[in-house]
Amino acid sequence: MNLLAAEATVGDPTGVWGAIAGGAEYFISIFNKGGEVLWSLMGGILPTLVVLLTAVNALVRIIGPEKIEGLGRKAAQPGLIWYPVRYIVLPFVAVFFLTNPMAYTMGRFLPERFKPAFYDAAVSYVHPITGIFPHANPGELFVYLGIAAGITQLGYGLGDLALRYLLIGLVVIFIRGIVTEFITSRMMAKREGAAA
Amino acid sequence: MGGFNKLLVTIGRGVGGVVGTLYQAGRETVDTVIRNIIPFMAFISFIIGLVLVTGIGDVIANGIKGLAGSLVGLLIVSIVCAIPLLSPLLGPGAVIAQIVGTLLGVEIGKGTIPPQYALPALFAINPQVGCDFIPVGLALGEAEPETVEIGVPAVLFSRLITGPLAVVLAYFASFGLYQS
Repeated sequence: MNLLAAEATVGDPTGVWGAIAGGAEYFISIFNKGGEVLWSLMGGILPTLVVLLTAVNALVRIIGPEKIEGLGRKAAQPGLIWYPVRYIVLPFVAVFFLTNPMAYTMGRFLPERFKPAFYDAAVSYVHPITGIFPHANPGELFVYLGIAAGITQLGYGLGDLALRYLLIGLVVIFIRGIVTEFITSRMMAKREGAAA
Repeated sequence: MGGFNKLLVTIGRGVGGVVGTLYQAGRETVDTVIRNIIPFMAFISFIIGLVLVTGIGDVIANGIKGLAGSLVGLLIVSIVCAIPLLSPLLGPGAVIAQIVGTLLGVEIGKGTIPPQYALPALFAINPQVGCDFIPVGLALGEAEPETVEIGVPAVLFSRLITGPLAVVLAYFASFGLYQS
């Protein structure tokens, strides 16, 4: 484990050679520390992650991602009640079942004027969901895990943070969907006005 | 006898299907772990090692202490990340957000940043999410080229508003989080 670890039986080298040797030890200590961190990650999070990913992947396969297409068609309807469906339920379900980046394909059921807003909502959810469902975006876990590592180090549980991240994420993507839809419709109207 | 055989075949098929699905899911998982997760863990471990052993950590800590330890600081971070010219550059692979997240995690662990700022910080470092990917994401949703032309600036400008707003929301939602 400890490459170039100091031998206790002889004195430390001195002079120029000692300085170089000290530099070498310092150099390798960076990687020893990194190795310790990697080992704790592989021993700590990874086994849980593998089992969880397997279970959820199997569940998604059994349910079948094509089942959610009906929801996409429903969300395309105009009207105030469909806003939460379009920018909360649909992005959540799409990100959960189709994962990043295939979740964005659900946009094909929506009219053109909703597509940027749906993309905005869906892509903004690929990190808040990883606190509890890491299968949705396994390549980008460290946005959450990086910060969560600090909380773990302090000895607190992660459930509270993960749940709040998940729920506030839903509120944020809802607002994002509405704001982006508004901006899109303004820009589209302006373009049509210019074309006419 | 024919009925019994049919039953056996049905059970066999069902069990085979479930086992096959689970096995396939496991294979997919290991594939993801080896391709996406472990390489990133290696990279993150190196950065953490570098931060902890060298003095870089203290320099960064002083820099982000003021920013990440207050609502105003987090708002500044989120606005900078949401600037329409910067956000597509910061986006790819969420690499920047992951590095900053890891650095903040180290500082939270050391006690430099109070733990209740974890939630607003998660939103502050991430208003640029997916800003590099808008044309591709819209293409996946089979959008027309005209929609892409409008969609890219629409999303980028929307982030300037919703990025800081998300931080404020998260700040108020973090009351009672990790506080005695």
